Amino acid sequence: MTDTAIEAAALGRSFGRRRRQALEGCSFRLPAGRVCALTGPNGAGKSTLLALAAGLLRPTEGSIAVLGRTPAAARERLAYVAQNKPLHPQLTIAGTLRLGRDLNPRRWDARVPERIIAEGDLDPGARIRSLSGGQRTRVALALALGKRPELLLLDEPMADLDPLARHQLMATLMADAADHGTTVVMSSHVVAELEGSCDHLLLLGGGRVRLAGPLDDLLAAHTLVTGRSGDTLEPHTVVESRTTGRQLTALVRPAGPLGEGRRTDRPSLEELVLAHLRSPEAPPLVLDTEQEAAA
Amino acid sequence: MSAVTAGASAAVKESRAPHGLVPALLRVHRSAFLFWLMLTAVCLGALLWAAGPGADAALAEYRALGCDRPGPGPDCHFSGSAVGRHQLAVAIASGLVTLLPVLTAAWAGGALTGREMENGTAELAWTQSVSPARWLAAKLAVPAVLLVAGTFAVTLLHRMLWSSPKNSLDRLMGWYEWHDDRVFEINGPVATAHTLAALALGVLAGLLLRRALPALGVAVLAVVSLVWVLDELRPRLWPTTATVTSAGSTPNPPGLVVEEGALTATGARVPVPECWGELDCPAESGITGYYAVYHPSSHFWPLQLMESGIALAVAALAVVAAFRLLRRRTGAAV
Repeated sequence: MTDTAIEAAALGRSFGRRRRQALEGCSFRLPAGRVCALTGPNGAGKSTLLALAAGLLRPTEGSIAVLGRTPAAARERLAYVAQNKPLHPQLTIAGTLRLGRDLNPRRWDARVPERIIAEGDLDPGARIRSLSGGQRTRVALALALGKRPELLLLDEPMADLDPLARHQLMATLMADAADHGTTVVMSSHVVAELEGSCDHLLLLGGGRVRLAGPLDDLLAAHTLVTGRSGDTLEPHTVVESRTTGRQLTALVRPAGPLGEGRRTDRPSLEELVLAHLRSPEAPPLVLDTEQEAAA
Repeated sequence: MSAVTAGASAAVKESRAPHGLVPALLRVHRSAFLFWLMLTAVCLGALLWAAGPGADAALAEYRALGCDRPGPGPDCHFSGSAVGRHQLAVAIASGLVTLLPVLTAAWAGGALTGREMENGTAELAWTQSVSPARWLAAKLAVPAVLLVAGTFAVTLLHRMLWSSPKNSLDRLMGWYEWHDDRVFEINGPVATAHTLAALALGVLAGLLLRRALPALGVAVLAVVSLVWVLDELRPRLWPTTATVTSAGSTPNPPGLVVEEGALTATGARVPVPECWGELDCPAESGITGYYAVYHPSSHFWPLQLMESGIALAVAALAVVAAFRLLRRRTGAAV
């Protein structure tokens, strides 16, 4: 059992004849057992990163290792749910699950998907083409979990779900992941969707890693400062600063004590992500658990 | 010791394709496979009927018209209803087999790979415990086995019908020659080879274009062109035989004529003169005889094997290209 779920080194992928870079120079390490939020604006490279980790795309630069091996060698131990939740429309739900059993003969556990289907009040005899988007998501997740993956890659998993189903399915997912120590990587551009269920963050922007690391450490490394306008924020790293009238609000990475006369707050996940999205020029911050331990 | 054995057996197990890939494929493409079964059944049924009751009825009608006697009347150039039904049955079978490469290419490009690439179900399979290469191998092998089995059965039955004793069906089947496109193809491995090439080209088109409708169109176009080129090329696939007849008679070689014309006293080959058929034509035009370059019926097998070989080579190239394409895109070794 390896303790690293995903390790990327200078990972890059370009598409087409014009070599448009979807990802470039991405280096990060995701320890096993984490629930990682993968976020960033549209077109940041989230789906490309997940497809690379799932072994569906070949990197054009650098490398990516999954569960200590190449993604292709780890195929049996990972599960992936694509953004559009592809399923065979002509099959029934039961037929889709039989497909999962047939294609994962050494790992399939029928109880998990059957429970997820039953929780959604779905008829196993219903054809996939007759299902709503949310119901399809449920079947796709059931298929992914039936494989008993060690790494679960989910691309925009909750986009089609109503709030109730989202809450219920997320709870099922998290309980299952906690029971089995599954590493989960979940992409979304809705930050609120991820808050509360994730303990690791990977923020992409323009194909590069902007933030990576344990969520608590990343939040602890940033401070939300409120002071008078005209204050100097040297020598701290300023991610974003805004002046409203005489008031200055800034998100900084403190390089030492922030001094008197200012209000300092711990940012929320949403504030952290939004500040970084609003200022693409802010330097990236990659925190590794091992580096933390060494320091 | 037991640990070593267990390790070895685990390694063997690891390297084997999941057993479920074939049932999974049959389930996903069930309606297409059922359609193929039905099509094969229609072909075999039509040929069986034509060989049995259809032939008997057609022969009875033929005899009733007196066409089996020497010097048959003019009615014998027209077919009665029983003869017509017999010919229709054979034409249905050979027509479907002629159409088969087009149907196969359309399905292989459109449904077998193109649609799966377009809607992402291919990636769904690749993130189960099945590598892209194994997925592709199954996608090629399962339909190939079914297509070969069906086409082979139809070919065998048609050959039986074609080569049945001269005194019964010869005159009915005599409407066609062994080298007519549809007869030639269905009577040997060429029909099967065309179909396999269509499968491989369709699969390649689907992987290349990654969309169902364009892949369907390109695959059909590719296969129609391939079959057309092979039809055109056929007479050149084996050395021909030449025959010369005297000026008094006309050349009537029993086979696939590649070239025919007239010979002058110097032995030069010239076009048949316009006065051909008139009594004093040879003297008038200086023709000493007629020649024909052709394939006798003994060239049937060499021609069949050459053409099948070319079609299978095209299929093999397409298969290699498909595997390389998949490998380059996904980077997965096995």
